[in-house]
Amino acid sequence: MEEGEREGNGKGAKVRFLIEKATNSTAPDVDHRLLKAIKTVVRYSDLELRLSSQTLMDLMKRDHSQVRYLALQIIDELFMRSKLFRTLIVENLEQLMSLSVGFRRNLPLPAPPSVASLLRTKAIEFLEKWNVSFGVHYRQLRLGYDYLKNTLKLKFPNIQANLERIRQERKEREMRSKEILLNKYESLKEKFSSIKGEILSTMDEIDGCLDILHSKQELESDDILDDEELDDFRSLELQQLRREALNEGEKVYESGDNKVVFDALRELYKLLVTKHLVSIQEWVSVLVRVEVADNRFRDSTLKEFIDIQNRVKSVKKRCEEAGCSFLNSSKLDGEEDFWEEGNVVSIETPSSAPDNKNKHPDVASTSQNMSSDKLGSYAKESKSSNTDSLLHGGNQSESHPLRSKLLTKAPVVRWGSHLDTWGSNRVFMANQRGLDLESHWGRVDDDAVIPSDIISELSVPAMPYEEKQIEIQPCRAPLRKGGLCRRKDMKICPFHGPIIPRDDEGKPLGASPSEDMNVNITKTDLAEKLAKQAVKNVRETDKVAAKKREIDKQELKRAKLAKIREHNDAVLRDAALASTSRSAAFGEDDEVTNRDKKASLASMLKKKVTSKDRIAQKLLSSRAR
Amino acid sequence: MDTWKNIKDRESGKLRPNSFANRIKSNRISQLELSNHKELVSPHKGSINSLQIDLTEGRYLLSAASDASVAVYDVHRPSDFNGDGLITKHNCLFFVDKQHQLAHKYAVSSAIWYPIDTGLFITGSYDHHVNVWDTNTTQVVVNFKMPGKVYKTAMSTLSTSHTLIAAGTEDVQVRLCDIASGAFAHTLSGHRDGVMTVEWSASSEWVLITGGCDGAIRFWDIRRAGCFQVLNQSQTQLGRRPPLLKRSVLTKESNTKMRPVQKKVANGSGSGHLPIGRLSSKGPMKQKLHPGMISTQDRATAHYGAVTGLKVTEDGMYLLSAGSDSRLRLWDVESGCDTLVNFETVRLQTSKPIQLATTQDSTVVFVPCMRVVKAFDMWSGNARTILRGHYESVNSCWFNQQDQELYTGGNDRQILVWSPARSIADEMGEGDPDDQDSWSN
Repeated sequence: MEEGEREGNGKGAKVRFLIEKATNSTAPDVDHRLLKAIKTVVRYSDLELRLSSQTLMDLMKRDHSQVRYLALQIIDELFMRSKLFRTLIVENLEQLMSLSVGFRRNLPLPAPPSVASLLRTKAIEFLEKWNVSFGVHYRQLRLGYDYLKNTLKLKFPNIQANLERIRQERKEREMRSKEILLNKYESLKEKFSSIKGEILSTMDEIDGCLDILHSKQELESDDILDDEELDDFRSLELQQLRREALNEGEKVYESGDNKVVFDALRELYKLLVTKHLVSIQEWVSVLVRVEVADNRFRDSTLKEFIDIQNRVKSVKKRCEEAGCSFLNSSKLDGEEDFWEEGNVVSIETPSSAPDNKNKHPDVASTSQNMSSDKLGSYAKESKSSNTDSLLHGGNQSESHPLRSKLLTKAPVVRWGSHLDTWGSNRVFMANQRGLDLESHWGRVDDDAVIPSDIISELSVPAMPYEEKQIEIQPCRAPLRKGGLCRRKDMKICPFHGPIIPRDDEGKPLGASPSEDMNVNITKTDLAEKLAKQAVKNVRETDKVAAKKREIDKQELKRAKLAKIREHNDAVLRDAALASTSRSAAFGEDDEVTNRDKKASLASMLKKKVTSKDRIAQKLLSSRAR
Repeated sequence: MDTWKNIKDRESGKLRPNSFANRIKSNRISQLELSNHKELVSPHKGSINSLQIDLTEGRYLLSAASDASVAVYDVHRPSDFNGDGLITKHNCLFFVDKQHQLAHKYAVSSAIWYPIDTGLFITGSYDHHVNVWDTNTTQVVVNFKMPGKVYKTAMSTLSTSHTLIAAGTEDVQVRLCDIASGAFAHTLSGHRDGVMTVEWSASSEWVLITGGCDGAIRFWDIRRAGCFQVLNQSQTQLGRRPPLLKRSVLTKESNTKMRPVQKKVANGSGSGHLPIGRLSSKGPMKQKLHPGMISTQDRATAHYGAVTGLKVTEDGMYLLSAGSDSRLRLWDVESGCDTLVNFETVRLQTSKPIQLATTQDSTVVFVPCMRVVKAFDMWSGNARTILRGHYESVNSCWFNQQDQELYTGGNDRQILVWSPARSIADEMGEGDPDDQDSWSN
């Protein structure tokens, strides 16, 4: 011992130097290299260790929290490693604790306060760690821990207890879920046959419905398809389209006759998807997770459930093939207004039910009328017009056919807040912050949500109706003093009567009819114009007759477009209802004419009254401008 | 290896059995440290004011605390084990607190065993009462109402002819309560302030020593009226005995050699013989004193401030006193002089009475010095060891002569056991595997 002492006087400076260097830093941690050096020095010499404990305790008395903090870290390092160091430190643990925790009122921790608080928490943490690791061997540790915890009521991080508690909680949770599973399993044992029976009966009913539909369709579709065979298709694209179309044609579509069947099918489909499929999945997961002694029932049931699930899936698929996707139909049923895509023609395919895309009841009904009335002839015409438009479309979009196609279809919508939720199915929290009625704080209901469909209802975009900029033409009637009348009136100039197209000198252009027809004509003129045009047409029947046949098909197409546009207008109008007094009045007028026109369109298809077609065309072109 | 050498000497007959035992004991005492394997689980919620091991078996520890509770522990047989049997826990055998219908209302300042057996114990409390309890039924059998807060109670360990409890209270008078009659036997007047501490002489059953807040230490012979001696801190002597003219040189030279011889004499002489003889010789001398002299003598003080602790050595020849002046004085009882031993106390608790403890051979005295207990060499005053463990002030300590264990109680509500180190296991290197060096590489 004495020898060591003597030796230490020479060598001991090393560890003291290292420790002092390590603690003389502003860094939040002790330098790793220095720490390692201290450890290696101290490891092989008890004397150095004694000296280090002494030095560290001296440093703990320094009037600077940072020094104390770093010293405490070194103490912890050595404490966890060396037994001798532990016995040395533990002897004066009370002092160490009072210097690091600062629980004595007359010995508060020195500045800086931020480091001091860090020092305190660290010291408490270390004490707990030491107590957990070595408390059994050192009464002083137990005493210190007990004193700080039970007498001073300091808050310890309680690492071990927390871990224990978490483990316990997890175990309890598992036990509970196991119990629930077992209960479910028992109940399944009792209910299995009834569940199975219910599902099977539903599937049988669906099968029945599908059978009925298919038998009906076979009767209907044959004659239509025969006609198509005659035509030759020029491009691969077209052929493919045709094939698709044919496939489409094989499907059964809802019509007046099979509506009841479809309704039933939809009902059953809904039941199958929302209830049975979900319940099967639940039961399967229960069976997979449950732990029972007797596996026989479980395995057999599981097998059966999986079989049933597969069957349900196949039935579901068949239903969907039959055009009974429950989600779509329900959505369409709920909506009253449906904005149709503009360029329907390019997508439309020749089929027995041309409006299969449009599930809108109104449109569907008209198309049904159409198809039932003039099925045969219409089929031919639509076919030829389609080829035209398809060709046209093909030229237009050589680079990005799909993109341009979609772009033409894409509705241009004003920017607004409704775009935030465009196409999303998110649900929103309803009462997350607990704000109750009338500025009172109420209960917070975390589970309350606003479903996405309500959100979409709430964020329906408001579209103010925008009137078209109409350039009002001057009257241009010749004046007596020379020049032309510059009055701009909508229809009638109070001095010169109705405004009509005139030449440069002011003479009315009675002879030239449709081309120069006032393009700025509004819808309100429609009836009047119709009459006028009718008269003109009677006069010029001969001339027009030649032209008529050439543009006939085009007109048909345009008529369709017009119809769609008209519908769109109606929607627009509804949206913008009563935005101004004038537009309101305008709207009323328009509605009337629309109704007229709707009827006229239908009749046009029957009789092919060319004059009306032309007017419609004009209208269209003016709109399209 | 002192122990092995002693054993060898004993084997060969070089060492007499008595001194062999004493050597082993003193060796153990020098190794006192905080015991890791023995824990007394304190049920008290207040500071521990008093500790005492029973005098008959040396087994039952009585503790009194500021939360008006009293508890008894078995220090031999543990009630519980912890840490794979490494730690033995001693829970209290019984615990009397305020829930008990006869319990004290306020802090219990002192609790002592009945010196004859463990069937009774006596508690003194700040609620002005001294209660005598039946240990087995934990019921109060005798109850004394005192004029003020009771600071200290004491019973003579030598007594064969009386069962008197001396009680030091806030009041200036010391009262002697007779358990046999249930009444006050004496009222000793003389102190000018409350009496913090009372102590019966270890050599005479009739002599009572009291220390007051007035700084006076008074000696009373309960058979006579008035006190017969007041210790004066200015009366000093150098050395353990008043210088005898004839043998003064010899005494100084062979100070250490003399000690065991003197002790043997002290132990050998019949107890009570010396003081009584002395009293008889001094009594008439005192009466001859001039009344004025008596009054100046009567005003003498042993400490500046209050006397907070008194302890007579086992042989009854010396008295240790602690004062609120943070001084510890060792008095020669026979001459009444301060022996001028300088104990290196730093600070002593001033507000409460403190309980000192000495070893049987009167070589070591344990003194509570604020948060630590210091073990002083009785004759040189050097601090041998400093026992650190308490987190707040220590109030009391008791040395178990039989097991060489020290029990200390403090304001941190803990009762700590200090026992000789288990050196053998450590020397053999049989430390616990969990508590070994674990360097990272």
